[in-house]
Amino acid sequence: MEVRWPVLWFSLGLCAIMGLLTALLPKILGNIHVMFGKMPMVKPLITALLGVDPGDQMSSQLSQAFLWVHPTVLTLIWAHEVMYCSRMPAGEIDRGTADFLLCLPVSRWKVFSAETIGWLISGVCLLACGYAGHLTASFTVQPEMRLSVSHTMMVMANLAAVYLAVGSFAFFLSALSDRRGRAIGMIFAIMLASFLLNFLAQFQDWAKSVSWLSVMEYYRPAIIIQTGTFPRSDIGILLCLAAIFWTASGVTFRMRSICTV
Amino acid sequence: MSVIVAKDLCRTYGSRRGISDVNLTINAGEIFGFLGPNGAGKSTAIRVLMGLLRASSGTARIFGKDCWREGSTIRRDIGYVAGDVRLYSWLTTRRGLRMISKIHGRDLLPNGLRLAERFRLEPDLVIRKMSRGNRQKVALVLALAHAPQLVILDEPTSGLDPLMQDTLMMCLRELAREGRTVMFSSHTLSEVETLCDRIAIVRDGQIVEDSQLLALKAQAPRQIVVTLQEQQRASDIQWPSGVDVKYEPSSSPEQDALMTALIVPPALRHRICVLELLGTSTPFMQWAAGQHFADVVIGSPALEVLFRRYYQE
Repeated sequence: MEVRWPVLWFSLGLCAIMGLLTALLPKILGNIHVMFGKMPMVKPLITALLGVDPGDQMSSQLSQAFLWVHPTVLTLIWAHEVMYCSRMPAGEIDRGTADFLLCLPVSRWKVFSAETIGWLISGVCLLACGYAGHLTASFTVQPEMRLSVSHTMMVMANLAAVYLAVGSFAFFLSALSDRRGRAIGMIFAIMLASFLLNFLAQFQDWAKSVSWLSVMEYYRPAIIIQTGTFPRSDIGILLCLAAIFWTASGVTFRMRSICTV
Repeated sequence: MSVIVAKDLCRTYGSRRGISDVNLTINAGEIFGFLGPNGAGKSTAIRVLMGLLRASSGTARIFGKDCWREGSTIRRDIGYVAGDVRLYSWLTTRRGLRMISKIHGRDLLPNGLRLAERFRLEPDLVIRKMSRGNRQKVALVLALAHAPQLVILDEPTSGLDPLMQDTLMMCLRELAREGRTVMFSSHTLSEVETLCDRIAIVRDGQIVEDSQLLALKAQAPRQIVVTLQEQQRASDIQWPSGVDVKYEPSSSPEQDALMTALIVPPALRHRICVLELLGTSTPFMQWAAGQHFADVVIGSPALEVLFRRYYQE
């Protein structure tokens, strides 16, 4: 009930952002070499986001790949997840409604499963709206700049796996916490650390050696688009993580006491 | 038949005490009062029974089933209102009733709306527009709509006006008449005294008394106010055994507060004696008949005095 509007706004926001980026990125990135010259930090940042060196001139394919790792897109998706997945049980305990909800004759597993279904449905809406925005705006760019449907679907499958892994992790931290603010803070801090680790791995050897800890390590749209191969292992790792964290969240939520004092 | 059975129940919050060694048996059809000051452990015990908190040790069973492991099955026959009622801001009474109807698999709307009418509640008003008392009423309606076998209420009268408190008491008595069980926590003596058959007093997480109300009343002292004749002197009177003199005119002026509490006019204070009597009043009445007092008022057993003793011990 209460998530309906936020999900709608996040979905419309992602639709608009992805549409705008699809239309504008080829134009902006066409002159990226100028920016590389003026702002030397831009190139490592893009390299970190894409996972491949864009060179001095970004190809049209890499321009399109940049859309899928754009910080605005990722922030919108993750913000939606953090908002949704921190509700149960941390949010419910925090605002005091946990007593009402968990004293209904429904098992905690059922409550958790219902919350998971809501999260999955909202994820489908969100990603579908994002894709719709991208698809609509792609008609405004030249045909050779467009991504093929098969490439787009592979990238989206990878993004969906990231969505599942991040959401499950958010559920897990929420299941451990009594305060929603604390849970959200921890999730954002860890996501930011993951992002920074991926960035630092471009320059620091120590960071490179532990970059497997970063979720971005398993999300490389540029490589998918360049090679055209399905990222089976990346998706497999992300799905395994999602399954582990989701199960751990459910077990923790089932076993924990609900303290409001 | 025992509805609630708790054996050596303990629950701690880290190093903080919650409840310890709580032993409790509540039978079907009883109205059971759970009394104690704030922070005594009443809510903790109730939350363990509701399966919200896991007991550190001991067992808690409702309808013969374990409260922690089989909580969802047990809760089908329980109506519960938490001590600090918080409901979803978008919820209305009608929407809440529809929601619990789906969960219980039967239409609870007609019964729920009847209850809402009894509590003078607008069924379509959202929680965010309600006063605290009305939110409490919504919680009560949602807890009672499915006519549960066991009703557990944690300080349910907080926020309710006296008329609604009476309505709630009537509802609970009706439920008990139908053979349903009521567990009622409170720190207000009067409501427990008027409603409950049996009372447990909780202090520092432990049950220090568990008795029938009548048995407790027999232990409670009665307050007696004796008005002397103008010519009588309190110091000349030999009070009978079992009488504890709380105030007499020769007492220190500090006891004026007691007199003020009794609302005795200052003009009469030099003739008033306040006594406490333990046990039946017949021997005292027989003795007083020969004393030619101006007036004698014997109060009913004052549970409050007894409870204060438990709390302060």
